[in-house]
Amino acid sequence: MLHISRGLLTLLLMLLEWTRPGRASPLRPICDLRVLKHFIEEAKDAEAAMLTCKEGCGLPEPVTVPQTKVDFNVWERKNAPEQAKEVQSGLWLLSQAVGSLRGSVTDATLHSHIDNSLRNIFSIGQVLRSLNFQVFLRAPCQEYPPPGVGVSGAETWRVSSASELLQVHVNFLRGKVHLLLSNAAVCQQGGS
Amino acid sequence: EKKMTNDHLKKLLVYCMLCCTQKIIVQGAQTFQTKVALLRHVEPNNPKCFAEGIRDLTCFWEEDEERAGSAKQYSFIYTYQNENSSECNVTALPAAGGRILYFCRLSQTQLFVPLDIQVFRDGLLIHNRRLHIELFFLLDPPVNLTVKRTEKQGQLKASWMPPPLKYLDDSMMYEVSYVIAGTQMGQVEEVRASSEVILLGLQPGAKYSVRIRVKLDGVSYNGYWSAWTDPVLMATLPGDLDPLIVSLTLIISLILTLLSLTVLLSHRRFLLNKIWPVIPNPESKFQGLFTVYGGDFEEWLGYSAGGLCLRPAYFYSEELPAPLEVLSEVSLDLPSSPLPPKAKQAPGEDEKLKRIDSLMERWRETPHEHWLMDQLRVLHQLPGPQCSQLESQDAYVTLNAQNHSGEEPLDDILEETLPLQALFASGRTCSESHSDLGSLQQSSGSGRLSTQSSFEYPNHTWPPKGPGYTYMAVADSGVSMDYSPMSSSRIDYMGKGVIYTNEYRNEIPAHRQPIPFAF
Repeated sequence: MLHISRGLLTLLLMLLEWTRPGRASPLRPICDLRVLKHFIEEAKDAEAAMLTCKEGCGLPEPVTVPQTKVDFNVWERKNAPEQAKEVQSGLWLLSQAVGSLRGSVTDATLHSHIDNSLRNIFSIGQVLRSLNFQVFLRAPCQEYPPPGVGVSGAETWRVSSASELLQVHVNFLRGKVHLLLSNAAVCQQGGS
Repeated sequence: EKKMTNDHLKKLLVYCMLCCTQKIIVQGAQTFQTKVALLRHVEPNNPKCFAEGIRDLTCFWEEDEERAGSAKQYSFIYTYQNENSSECNVTALPAAGGRILYFCRLSQTQLFVPLDIQVFRDGLLIHNRRLHIELFFLLDPPVNLTVKRTEKQGQLKASWMPPPLKYLDDSMMYEVSYVIAGTQMGQVEEVRASSEVILLGLQPGAKYSVRIRVKLDGVSYNGYWSAWTDPVLMATLPGDLDPLIVSLTLIISLILTLLSLTVLLSHRRFLLNKIWPVIPNPESKFQGLFTVYGGDFEEWLGYSAGGLCLRPAYFYSEELPAPLEVLSEVSLDLPSSPLPPKAKQAPGEDEKLKRIDSLMERWRETPHEHWLMDQLRVLHQLPGPQCSQLESQDAYVTLNAQNHSGEEPLDDILEETLPLQALFASGRTCSESHSDLGSLQQSSGSGRLSTQSSFEYPNHTWPPKGPGYTYMAVADSGVSMDYSPMSSSRIDYMGKGVIYTNEYRNEIPAHRQPIPFAF
């Protein structure tokens, strides 16, 4: 009788483990860089559109953005998790900065570009998650920074204009995000 | 001995290293000069900068020798965004055209961040520029370009080794140029993120020259097109003859051949005449000339001392009488002068004269005909005026149905029947002789000769007017006279035209001597 009850309990625990709510199904690795290239092109379009804006396209206050420079001597000394952490922190900062710009821009065309940029940042988070990089971008406008992201330091700096912000957005995608995705271990193993 | 051997080996090793280093340096210098020359044409801004890898940056500018100073006079200051400025050592090199090239090379760079560059000469800013290094790549051309034939016609497969640059291989794009060797006819094909390509649509059996260059695709990285690789020659497979095309070609050729033969056979006579025309033989026109007289035309004519030979063949000749121009007047006295004495002629011609006389007797059936022929003889016996070669002393003789013997006048002939203008008018010179249509000029006087002038007008069909005369057409070909009996009751088509006959009255002045007429 005791053995039967233990067996049933074990079976029940197993069933509960499988049916645990909120468990995400494993994502198929997204190794095709054309997706990222598409996001980069749209970020360039947003930057170009912002350069033509004269009124109603400023930041309400200076925002913190990630450093975009890549010194390969330094980058290669970091391992993949460190690189991934740097990328996901930067994406979070950008999402916050672009989100604040969204509230101050009145031009309709720029508004659509900014919305697009926000969606692309969230999509890049999905791509990183598919590559087994732990990402904390569960919501586009998460209030509190994920652990490990420094508010100020060598990895960040502050910008006060919308054009600077979008330029940082472009450079970050072209640089660190692209380097991380193009050298993802999952993709190097012959994944799709 | 071991020590000496080791020393020798060391020296040899150092020598090899020096040689290799020198070779690398020389190659590097050549590459640098090549890139400088390439950028000189495509980059308008100064300083001109290019990155050969992910860790370097080379910037250069040129100065005229007159304005140029030493390298120490120049300062190259570069500043990354949100960082302090740094300085790079400037180096000077002689350049083409008497210019000096100054350059600076950074061995450690930061990408994806704006870089400000300032060049000073003696403290004076001469160049200022902001750029992103990752957008100014100028790579070395690809290496190991290989071109092979595929199994299919008109195809070649090109493969190469991309520049060995980490992180950039998925951002490279290539341009493959392939032209037929020795010509400028070719195409350029773009290849992205791949190190091989199959060239399609090539001419079979042609030798192609293939070369390639590389550039970054402009998404994350960008730059200038590299230099072309050295061309590689390869010929495509020769084209096979499609059996369907061959068979169709043969069938069409056979059909065309049969058609040509049919056309040739149907027009063989015409073609033979054109290619190998039959030599005209006049023998049919001159009966007996070759068979009887052996080609002796004079003998055949019986022509001697300006005499005329009447031959029966002329009476029925199929040839068209030549247009006749009556250019002289004849004194129409009754034949009193005797015929040319036969004694003047050669004895051998008696037979000819007899034959002629016998022929003439046929005509002497009617009195007026006899009289007319006598008049003809008189005419030809009279010496004619000294006329030009265009004149003819011959005339068409009308054998009038009415009795015109003797001096019976011909006044009853209506003018309507005389549409032609005769040139027997007195006083006319030789130069006025011509053939035309018009009214005949009538003249009065003794000795009238009823003659008719007949002219040929191929394009006119004028019916003969007047009474139904029988008359004789006389054609003078310059050699002999052709008398052919004709009737005005019908229109004779002789060859191309119609013989138009007309009457006219003519009076020959008495002072003129008669035209000699001889048979």
